[in-house]
Amino acid sequence: MKQRSSKYLYLLVLLPFLVVAILFEIIPLLMIVVNSFRPEGGGAGVTLAHYATIFTKPLYKKAILNSITISLTSSAFGIVIAFLGGMAARRAGKGSKLHNAYLTVLNMTSNFAGVPLAFAYMILLGNSGILKQWIPFLQDFDLYTSTGLNMIYVYFQIPLSTLLMIPAFDGIRQEWQEASTLMGCSAAGFWTRIGAPVLLPSILGTVSVLFANALAAYATAYALLMNNFALLPINVSGMFVGDVTQRKEMGGALSVVMMILMVIAMGANNAIVNRQRKGGARK
Amino acid sequence: MKKKTWVSSLYIVLVMIYLLIPLLATAVYSMFQKWTGKLPEGFTLQNYVELLTEQDFMLSLGRTVIICIVPIFLTVLLVLLALFVVTIYFPRLEKYVQLLCMVPYMIQGVILSVSIISLYAGSPTILGNRLVMLVGAYCIIILPHIYQGIRNSMHAVNMPMLLEAAEMLGASKIYGFFRVIVPNIISGITVSSLLAVGLIFGDYVLVRNIAGTGFKNVQVYLFLTMKSSSTKASAVFVIIMITTFLITLLVLFLQSRDTKKRLQKVKG
Amino acid sequence: MGYIHFENVTKDFGHNHVLKGITMDVEKGHLVTLLGPSGCGKSTLLRCLAGLEEVTGGTISLDGKDITHVNPRDRGIGMVFQQYSLFPNMSVAQNVAFGLNMKKVDKETTARKVREMLTIVGLEEKADHYPSQLSGGQQQRVALARAIVTEPKVLLLDEPLSAIDAKLRRNLQVEIRRIQQDFGMTTIFVTHDQDEAMVMSDVIHLFHNGLIEQSGAPTEMYTQPVSKFAASFIGNYNILSAAEFEKACGEAVDSADVAIRPEIVRINLEVADESKRYHMEGEVINSLSHGNLMRYTILCNDVEINADIMFEKSQLLEIGQKVRLSIRKTNVIMLNS
Repeated sequence: MKQRSSKYLYLLVLLPFLVVAILFEIIPLLMIVVNSFRPEGGGAGVTLAHYATIFTKPLYKKAILNSITISLTSSAFGIVIAFLGGMAARRAGKGSKLHNAYLTVLNMTSNFAGVPLAFAYMILLGNSGILKQWIPFLQDFDLYTSTGLNMIYVYFQIPLSTLLMIPAFDGIRQEWQEASTLMGCSAAGFWTRIGAPVLLPSILGTVSVLFANALAAYATAYALLMNNFALLPINVSGMFVGDVTQRKEMGGALSVVMMILMVIAMGANNAIVNRQRKGGARK
Repeated sequence: MKKKTWVSSLYIVLVMIYLLIPLLATAVYSMFQKWTGKLPEGFTLQNYVELLTEQDFMLSLGRTVIICIVPIFLTVLLVLLALFVVTIYFPRLEKYVQLLCMVPYMIQGVILSVSIISLYAGSPTILGNRLVMLVGAYCIIILPHIYQGIRNSMHAVNMPMLLEAAEMLGASKIYGFFRVIVPNIISGITVSSLLAVGLIFGDYVLVRNIAGTGFKNVQVYLFLTMKSSSTKASAVFVIIMITTFLITLLVLFLQSRDTKKRLQKVKG
Repeated sequence: MGYIHFENVTKDFGHNHVLKGITMDVEKGHLVTLLGPSGCGKSTLLRCLAGLEEVTGGTISLDGKDITHVNPRDRGIGMVFQQYSLFPNMSVAQNVAFGLNMKKVDKETTARKVREMLTIVGLEEKADHYPSQLSGGQQQRVALARAIVTEPKVLLLDEPLSAIDAKLRRNLQVEIRRIQQDFGMTTIFVTHDQDEAMVMSDVIHLFHNGLIEQSGAPTEMYTQPVSKFAASFIGNYNILSAAEFEKACGEAVDSADVAIRPEIVRINLEVADESKRYHMEGEVINSLSHGNLMRYTILCNDVEINADIMFEKSQLLEIGQKVRLSIRKTNVIMLNS
């Protein structure tokens, strides 16, 4: 039984990992939730006042609404562009030059977000943007608005969503399409009757990833609009960082709301992935 | 069906152009004195020369490199050790380790950064040090990627069987793990580390929220420069993007090399 | 007591009793096969012997020494796994040398032994290749070389050929048996393939639900199954309940079930002394060609009987043809459960 006792010594090897996870993941997250139920200023007791404030004060309501709107809009654009992109990539054929070039560009731009992206858009479409010299009707376009921000969000959603959808299209077997053609089904008919239903789980899963991605994005919005636009991640950061004293309690509650939105989006994705896996044949 | 191929090709080309325009335009912009009319005027590499000789910028590059290396090295080591112990001795704990590793994926940068500063800012212990907080936060942010990379490659090499084989030949479990398993998953570790480099390299939230402007990495440098000089900022931009692409290309290269190897195996 | 001795070995995985008390001996130099369907406990027993699983109860001894709680690497046992157990980052020669390096054998001896071993398994030219460059069969030869180069007391083979295609498999079976006999290596072989067990073994232990159902030499196992399970797993026995048997031939038997090997069923045979045989009247309902054998299915009063007849063109039977079967009484095996 010597083996047994030495086995528990190995738990020590696990310790460094646990220390880091506890110090920088578990306690901070726990405390932010706990703080959200504390009265402002750190007194004793439990209160839901901050949550009440969030859902009554226009400033916070606006931030939540803006965040959800921009996440949904950019995800919708993203998934449509990605769906068509996946279809086009499939038709171009795996291994073809165009397909490879497409994948390379997508991969390259998939890390293109945040401050650099906002900056590039300022060069292109800012007050004296390059594109404005070329395309007259963009002359009056104002990048520093929610429309402008939306446009940038759509940009970083495209590589992510397309890279998720292309493999999903690989799951559509050529044989199915051939069989349906033999049975007299048109190409459009194939995609509406077989293609889209088979892809539905992937589409929904991708949308939830996109939603979470947009919701958590901070640097892009901050670089473009600073603190002049009500958005959840910006408001949350504002509560803790900057010249003002930290508002741990209010900020905690706002963080919890944001976390719940993230968990809903990610949870939806997990549920879809699990169902797909159980479906087995779907793969 | 043939006739529609050009439509899809056109679509792909359009998307590629759309994605590349901001990059290319900014790159061209960085190489001219000004671009206020239709075409840029006065080709110059002055921006780059200035930048690469500026101590402030080089320091920010150096900071970025260090802040990439330390957390990644730490996280890889911690996850390797944790997975070693858990898969071999305590398989029942595996799902808890997995949970710990995947939670950061759900919370992402903003919430993680504010929860860490609200807890430790002003702390008299070493945890009150902004850099310690930053390194810790980066470790957590890259955790899901490192974890998945290592775990997937452990599955791909069928770790339990290789370890048993090594053990039957007289090796201890630790020897087997570090001499047989680790060399075989090193390319998987490299790929996930590179992905993590990309992540940290492109981060702005954590640095700003945790270290403020006190730790000026390239992203912060870009942010500050673009307020003062857009031509200089565009050169910073190009340097950041080139680095990012090199990392991406390296990842793609390593991945395709791995798939090739695996295909070869299946054929054999 | 044999060279290897298992004494009432049990193994539980939670509430699942995988081994329910195995007592078994293995003689030195023998190749012993553990045969049985998946989940019968055969691999688990092998892994207990290797030390890769800890036993729940009982003892295992090797060469007179109790090894029940000895570390796997200190047991002096070599093992070949199903597949892909070669270290992918090491060349063939490095793989084979691994065990010798662990034993701190000096460089020259190691190199010589590796070379000899690779020659024995016919792969001396592949020494510098990597596992991914080898076929499945070659990989398993290397695995075999790697397992025996350290001269272990016992060699364990855990379904080493299950992932290899049929034809190559035959060759490897013969080759493994040859090497095993040349070295006089005590070997335990796990398989679910009864043909493989027949070809290779000195002794077969048939496993069923965590217990040994029957042990014996291959021919004995084949001709004298002791239970319904043994009869159904080995050979293609016709297994009839007493009631079915009586229905088919009109004579009662004094056992729960009977087992009849298809090749002892004779069709339309004229014999002098009919009292030594059972007889059945029936109609051919199916015929299948197995190369040199024809397998007919005959329906005798609603009971199906399979009969294997050597292929002879002039004597082919047609479906629907009425036939008379005769079976020597002493060849019918009575099974009492």
